[in-house]
Amino acid sequence: MRRRDFVKAIVTVPVTAMPIFGQNAPPTTIEKTSEPQSASSAAAPPTPETAPKQVEQPRSFGFQSPAIPATIPDEIATTEQHYFRAEHMATLRKLGDILLPPMNGYPGSTQACAPEFIDFLISVSPVERQTMYRSGLDRLNAESHKQFSIPFAQVNAEQADALLRPWLRTWMVDHPPTEPFAHFVNVAHEDIRTATMNSQAWSIAATSAGERAPGIGWYWSPIDPDIQMYV
Amino acid sequence: MPEETVDVLIVGSGHSGGMVAKILTEKGISCVMLNAGPIVDYQKDRELKPAYELPYRGFKMPGRLPHVFQANEFNANTWVDEKEVPYTYNQDEPYNWVRVRLFGGRSLFWARQSFRLSDYEFKAKDHDGFGTNWPIDLSDLAPYYSRVEEIFRVSGHPDGLPQYPDGNFVVDDSPWSGSMQRFIAAGKKLNVPVCKARSAMGRDGLASSINLLLPDAFATGKLTAVPNVVVREITVDKNTGLANGANFVDRHSRREMSVKARVVVLAAGCLESTRLLLNSKLANSSGVLGHYLIDNVYGPGVVCSVPEARDGKATPDLMGGDGLIPRFRNITTKSPNFIGGYALNLWSSDRAMGARNFAAYGAELQTKLDSYYGSGFYMSMMGQVLSHYENHVSINKSVVDAWDIPVLHIDTKYTDNEFNMSRDAVDTGVAMAEAAGFEVLSKNYEPNPPGYSIHELGTCRMGDDPKTSVLNKWNQSHDIENLFVVDGSSFVSTGWQNPTMTILALSMRAAERTAEQMQQRNIG
Repeated sequence: MRRRDFVKAIVTVPVTAMPIFGQNAPPTTIEKTSEPQSASSAAAPPTPETAPKQVEQPRSFGFQSPAIPATIPDEIATTEQHYFRAEHMATLRKLGDILLPPMNGYPGSTQACAPEFIDFLISVSPVERQTMYRSGLDRLNAESHKQFSIPFAQVNAEQADALLRPWLRTWMVDHPPTEPFAHFVNVAHEDIRTATMNSQAWSIAATSAGERAPGIGWYWSPIDPDIQMYV
Repeated sequence: MPEETVDVLIVGSGHSGGMVAKILTEKGISCVMLNAGPIVDYQKDRELKPAYELPYRGFKMPGRLPHVFQANEFNANTWVDEKEVPYTYNQDEPYNWVRVRLFGGRSLFWARQSFRLSDYEFKAKDHDGFGTNWPIDLSDLAPYYSRVEEIFRVSGHPDGLPQYPDGNFVVDDSPWSGSMQRFIAAGKKLNVPVCKARSAMGRDGLASSINLLLPDAFATGKLTAVPNVVVREITVDKNTGLANGANFVDRHSRREMSVKARVVVLAAGCLESTRLLLNSKLANSSGVLGHYLIDNVYGPGVVCSVPEARDGKATPDLMGGDGLIPRFRNITTKSPNFIGGYALNLWSSDRAMGARNFAAYGAELQTKLDSYYGSGFYMSMMGQVLSHYENHVSINKSVVDAWDIPVLHIDTKYTDNEFNMSRDAVDTGVAMAEAAGFEVLSKNYEPNPPGYSIHELGTCRMGDDPKTSVLNKWNQSHDIENLFVVDGSSFVSTGWQNPTMTILALSMRAAERTAEQMQQRNIG
């Protein structure tokens, strides 16, 4: 469909007829379904029909959904960072830069806005995960002050290595290290990598490099969701 | 208003419900199948998407599905939401109850590992001196296994091991890769067998009730399926004491309804069927309903690298393929630390390895990932859990689900037997890897919480004695002759095996017996 045809279709359909964007048209005419019922007409049962009426075709019958070239908000906006305190955020950004810097044409943590995404993710996470992150960032900063008399956000690569390497572990899925600070370092590392490698920036870099972007999978929509879960 | 009494009411549409529907309808018996969830449409309900288009960039939605470790942002909508259908447990003893209520149930998503139980499991009491023997043995079930294996097109290789009974296979004669051959040789040194894995190939990429069983039932014209109805209780005729139907609620509207039936078959999954019986206050003259909850230990494992496959040298001849170490402990010798046995799944991969296998970061980590690409060799344990009366479920009347149905309280934990077995499995895996010349990168001794394997079993155990079992050897209630439970709840014990083939064989056997009994008018 050409753009002007699409716009024409939009402006001639009432707002309540938004199902045009789906494949399934409403079973009755748009005018009927979009008209609000008055209190009296809602209370009175409709007159029984004695003979079948000719079924009116929905106005959107045969309408083919246009391919709308949409994008995701990350492409045109930045995430409002709001959960971590300033020093936590500075520590997290530095941690991201150290653990996953830009390499070989791929974005690093900062370029993928991973710290800002993690700020959002942790802000909506259970309190245990929030506490783990805040305590871990505090501990990392405190260790930096203790060993180098500067915040972690200002350490150089060698200093960062001295702070982080003793806590790196190998581990298997669902079984991260149990010691609290090692747990933080290793889980934050994985989170930073996931937030970065699942970003659109990484996907674009992979496509440019002629490689398959990670993080593509079969997404299941809510399947006939129970109505009471959403009211 | 339909007041007709249906021949057989089947609650649940997964492997066991599907099998019962197929067998009964093919014998001319009409069935109505109730399922708590909707019908899935693989074309409409799923689409390929990049993680960056999802709200949480591929991270599991925080706080959602906390006990479904298998969940991620892509598949989150396929699992039962704990907020909608809660369950309770003791805070220091979590249970991962992993549920699917879509039509076809968990048969839509199972891992397809297809094993027979052996007489080391059916007669575990005789062999191990612990637990209870089943009222049947392998010879009773073997003909049904064969038919199930044919329907599900089980790929496998006959190995002649009594603890790993052979079956009616699509024979897998594919050659072993070089890495697997080295591992087999290492096993021989340590007296540990390494066999081909066995897996249901199914058809068209699916090995489910909805494509392998239910189409045959629908083709008879004798099956009526009703999705989106949640069964509240099984009803009983007060005069005869027989089951006579069910009360259920429409999932969407909450409209309460009832249906009458001559025979009732529960196939809702072990714990949902048990919950239904407990809420209905039926079939528990023995007092063991809800007890002896078992599953399989999952979680312990080992990740290795095959050095010769690194730095771009992985070839199809060297890497690839999967295998299985069937139970080998406590067969001819006796382990000092545990009863029963475990298996190890094995797979050799020519793909990327995970970053958590390396204690490194930044450029150093990337160098490792590049170097180790295609050299991974993995082992994961499937372990037996012993049956204990104390591991049980009960009704928690103070908590209800979205339809006001009281929920289950699950009270179970692993014992030293399972922990010692896990340690032995990992140590054995490491020893074999080292003997094969592989580098061990990471290992885990800690089992996942009970329930993780999605193999919950045993809470309506079968037996010959009505005082110590819920069902007889035909999956028929001792108390109510026209009530059957055909899911995994009938298990008396478990082994290391995925239970699906056994559930299917038992439900096929039970359905044929039921049909016979109905045709002779002994029941219904």
